[in-house]
Amino acid sequence: MTSLTGVPALATLALPPLPLHWPHLHLSPAQLLVLTPAVACLLGLWWGRGHRRLAATVAVLGGFVTLGASAWQVVQVVTDHVEATSGTVGPLPVGALRLPLNLLSDHLSALVAVAVAVVGLAVQGFTTWYLAADPRYPQFAAGVSLFLAGMLLVVQTGDLVLLLIGWELMGWCSWLLIGHDSRRAEARRAAYKAFLVTRIGDLAFVIGLIILAVGAGTTSIPAVLRHWTSGAGATQGALATAAMICLLSGIAGKSAQFPFQDWLPDAMEGPTPASALIHAATMVAAGTYVIARLFPIFVQSGPARLVLAAVAALTMVGSAILAFGQSDLKRMLAWSTVSQVAIMLSALAVAPAAAGPDTGVLHLVSHAMFKALLFLGIGWLSVLAGGTTAAALTGGVQHFRELRSPLAVGFLALTGVPPFFGFVSKELVIGSAEHGIVGGGNTAGWLVLGALLVTVPLTAAYCMRAWMVLTHRTPEEWIEERQVERESHHPQDVGLVEMFDTRTFVPDPEEEAMEERHIDTPAWLSVSVLKWLTVVGGLVILTPFVTVDWHVNPWLVGCSLLLMAGAAFGVRAVSPQAVESDAMRRAGARVRSAFDRGWGADTAYLALVARPVLGLARWVVALDRDVIDAYVRGSAAATKVAGALGEQTHRRRPSTNLVWVLVGVLGVAAVGVRLW
Amino acid sequence: MILLALTLAVPAVAGTALILGDRAPVAARPLTAQLVALVASVVTLVLTVWDVVQQPVVDQPWVPTLGLRWHFAVDGISAPLVLLTAGLGVAVVAHARRHLPTGGTPGTFYGCLLLVELGALGTFLTRDAVLFFIAFETVLIPMWILINRFGDPRDAAARSDAAGRFLLYTVLGSTLMLIGILALVNAAGTADLDRLAASGGAGLSPTTQAIVAAILLVGLGIKVPLWPVHTWLPPAHTIAPTGGSVLLAAVLLKMGTYGIVRLVAAPLPHGLGVLAPYLGGAAVIGIIWGGLACLVERDLKWLVAYSSVAHMGFVVLGIASGTDTGLQAALFANIAHGVVSALLFFVVGGLKERWGSADLGVARAALREVSPRMGLSLVIGFAAALGLPGLVTFWGEWLAMYAAWSPAADRPVGLFHAYAVVAVIGTALAAGYALRVLRVVWAGDRLEPAVPDVSGVERWVVGVLTLTVAALGVWPRAVLDSTAPVVAEIVHRAGVSTPADLGSLPPISGLPAREVPRSAGDSRDPRGGAAS
Repeated sequence: MTSLTGVPALATLALPPLPLHWPHLHLSPAQLLVLTPAVACLLGLWWGRGHRRLAATVAVLGGFVTLGASAWQVVQVVTDHVEATSGTVGPLPVGALRLPLNLLSDHLSALVAVAVAVVGLAVQGFTTWYLAADPRYPQFAAGVSLFLAGMLLVVQTGDLVLLLIGWELMGWCSWLLIGHDSRRAEARRAAYKAFLVTRIGDLAFVIGLIILAVGAGTTSIPAVLRHWTSGAGATQGALATAAMICLLSGIAGKSAQFPFQDWLPDAMEGPTPASALIHAATMVAAGTYVIARLFPIFVQSGPARLVLAAVAALTMVGSAILAFGQSDLKRMLAWSTVSQVAIMLSALAVAPAAAGPDTGVLHLVSHAMFKALLFLGIGWLSVLAGGTTAAALTGGVQHFRELRSPLAVGFLALTGVPPFFGFVSKELVIGSAEHGIVGGGNTAGWLVLGALLVTVPLTAAYCMRAWMVLTHRTPEEWIEERQVERESHHPQDVGLVEMFDTRTFVPDPEEEAMEERHIDTPAWLSVSVLKWLTVVGGLVILTPFVTVDWHVNPWLVGCSLLLMAGAAFGVRAVSPQAVESDAMRRAGARVRSAFDRGWGADTAYLALVARPVLGLARWVVALDRDVIDAYVRGSAAATKVAGALGEQTHRRRPSTNLVWVLVGVLGVAAVGVRLW
Repeated sequence: MILLALTLAVPAVAGTALILGDRAPVAARPLTAQLVALVASVVTLVLTVWDVVQQPVVDQPWVPTLGLRWHFAVDGISAPLVLLTAGLGVAVVAHARRHLPTGGTPGTFYGCLLLVELGALGTFLTRDAVLFFIAFETVLIPMWILINRFGDPRDAAARSDAAGRFLLYTVLGSTLMLIGILALVNAAGTADLDRLAASGGAGLSPTTQAIVAAILLVGLGIKVPLWPVHTWLPPAHTIAPTGGSVLLAAVLLKMGTYGIVRLVAAPLPHGLGVLAPYLGGAAVIGIIWGGLACLVERDLKWLVAYSSVAHMGFVVLGIASGTDTGLQAALFANIAHGVVSALLFFVVGGLKERWGSADLGVARAALREVSPRMGLSLVIGFAAALGLPGLVTFWGEWLAMYAAWSPAADRPVGLFHAYAVVAVIGTALAAGYALRVLRVVWAGDRLEPAVPDVSGVERWVVGVLTLTVAALGVWPRAVLDSTAPVVAEIVHRAGVSTPADLGSLPPISGLPAREVPRSAGDSRDPRGGAAS
């Protein structure tokens, strides 16, 4: 007892003062980048319901402020030349673990933030037109804003927990955006599948982050990098490898890499602007960014790099083949995204430690531009043509000429034709694979280079196939066109009456309906800006934001260009003989159906994960009821039986025992009285 | 000081008066009963806010021969729980205005709600182990009445089964807890929770600690509820009226975990260390068990109840890890589950009243189409249930998994790594069932039969809870800052104290049993020195 005296009781520990102070009144660009879309989301939901014009204004204005903030960050990074940190809601007092929750501004975040902000603004601008007739436009715009907040949090994060928050927030928003049209069962299913598949990938991701944080005792990314590269963690290579492979699982989930690839094509059920945002610029590419952020740890781990190289190589080739076979052009773009993201990741798997992660990041940025352009272009066309299947879009570019140049630029960049952005970034990835081989002669390098040299012609092939479909002309159209051309050479007689005919032109009602859906200025500007960035974006390698070794082997470049051209011409040659110039129509119906179903990955998911888990769940419920609860019911039943037995032995009339009890009581009383 | 006493006196007097008033020849009208209950609960809320800000201490002798005292105070751990209880007290009373359950007089209903609130407040405020037990028991009978009389009106047998099960199960738990408390008080020589915590288990041999901790953990674990003693929970939550379900899930379960922190983690750290592998195992099995059951459960209310089993598993896992991070995680997850389950039960209870049942198999109008405000609250509630970052549940769950990965030095690390992995899998199951519910209830194309959206007082209650779920998710420091100093102190004391047979302190547990409490009462100096 004496040991306790003098120790203050816990109740004397005063509660802290109420947290009425706000962390920083002066916003940094990183804080502004995260805060602006979040506020735009809240305001859009609050004011925007029922006022679509207001909702659109908030969303687009938020996009502009975000873009401004990203430009400000660029200026800051260029002028200050140092990493800048800024706070958020931390640090949190959680015992021994330090949880500073800081944001970070550096070259990497500056470049990617600009790309995200540009695509985000373009998507918001395009959506105002694309969903003009949708009563749920305000909710969609708010969802896009929240999504951008999540992505920019991932981009700006200097903390593993903030990274996880942004990462999961994107997953949630993708559920909302893919399932936007929640009246359609397909959209609901696609949203559910997307979230669950990525969440299952994220399980190991969470463990990986925890391993990294536990080792360093903090979640601050600079401190974590120091610990695992030069501090006490540098000697624990196996643990670092385990953490990195765990992270790769989450990255494969969000980036739709094998074996998680199948959620992404299904996610095309979402509105096209959502696809342009989620599946081109942000969520699917976020994994690349995460590896780039943790590159110093990742590059030390040979096994993790080999795993990533293998997964990326397999996914790259497989999804490029699948892309070729899709009967829906939007799904073709989805598979091409899977393939292109694999290219980014493969660059990180093979880049030499000295070269840094910039080639992968550069392909991220270039892919963000040209794939967003392609998605918006196909979305635009689908509004005019009424669908995204190859059959619906046949000859689309012939009928709607203004789409010709954006789609052409997009496909050329996707193929990797010089001088477009896609060419620059893809050749640099090939170059870094070669550097990797020259530097270390490793397996990963050969794996990636081989896969790239297969993927490049495949990409050219599916792009050419899509282009042939889009530019297809029916024989009648062909003849008509020829006739117009011929007639234009012959002057026609015009009578005096016709010349002075001032009757107003009566428009065709069908054409008028088409006119209503004519694209408006913000949407047109969005597409145009992306188009020009796709054309000139490659110049970014001349800026200080990317440090790449752009001395690529000319033989390798020539070889890849030749492969590209060969594949493209091959497809072009076979297309005219196919129905609707669709080279894939030469294959049988069964083959095409197998391609559309992604070679049965969905069936595998159901058989390997969904059904066993549900079976286990039913088993658990049965066990809960019949085993665990049986004891409880059993005790109740046993009590009842015991009661009934007791009642049986009780004969409901004074028994001889009772007489003895009475006698005893009297006896005790007598003794008591006697003793008293 | 008088106001702290009033904090308990107001619900006690108002609750008793309401119940007795209904026995008067002229029964009070529903409106009067509601008004009295509302005023009482609002006054209680104001008083608790004052208590939390001012931190007064009530300390009067009660049974001097046994060393028992009327001792109430607020510290960093109890402050958020007290505010949660009082806030939800106002919410359930106000919410009942929308739909008063049948089965008894309004006065009895409101009176029972207030008495449950009284018991919970008493549990969180008291600083005496025996008083803790008494306050803990106070909630039982009112809650039994709420379930048995005012529960689901369609099925009398189910009501009586659920209520009886609740009562008997928790009485069993309480009995074990009483034995544990008496053993603890006997061994440590004091019933004062502060002094028990301050000792950090010093002077008690690990064996004694482990035995006492085991008894207490089983007893309190029934209340939490821990797997495998959880089967009372789903029927009780499902059958109870909306207000009863909210208090059950959001407040009563917290009393169990709060008790584990106060009676096991603080005074018996080495005993907890011995039992931690089993405790953590039960916790993660509960996480998986609840998540799996939710995947196939057809009754929405039953589903939310099962999800409570899973979420409380994270709280217990945090405690089992034995680190300061784990304890912070547990206390935060405790509050988080309180807010989220309250929101979910208000929404789901409202849906059940509107639908007539909570069967997920029946095709109904999509909430997104017909009642968007309720739909939004349901979406945010289930987003929080799946641990979405940015909402309140995330912090507790992530920190609990972190703590499980890096447990205290005396825990088996490999086993706790496995626990962390299992807990992570539990979050995927949570995503599965949360989105399953949203896919069935929230999204869809049916517009018939339409249900009315939240309105009036229900809208306020649900709206405020929804905002709290988001606000605490963005600003977790509101709770973490409050609990951090006490947690640091508990873990520090546990670290510096050494079990009797290892350290320098005389083994108190060896003293004759009956003498100890008395000497504690006698030797205690006037409490001014220790408590104020």
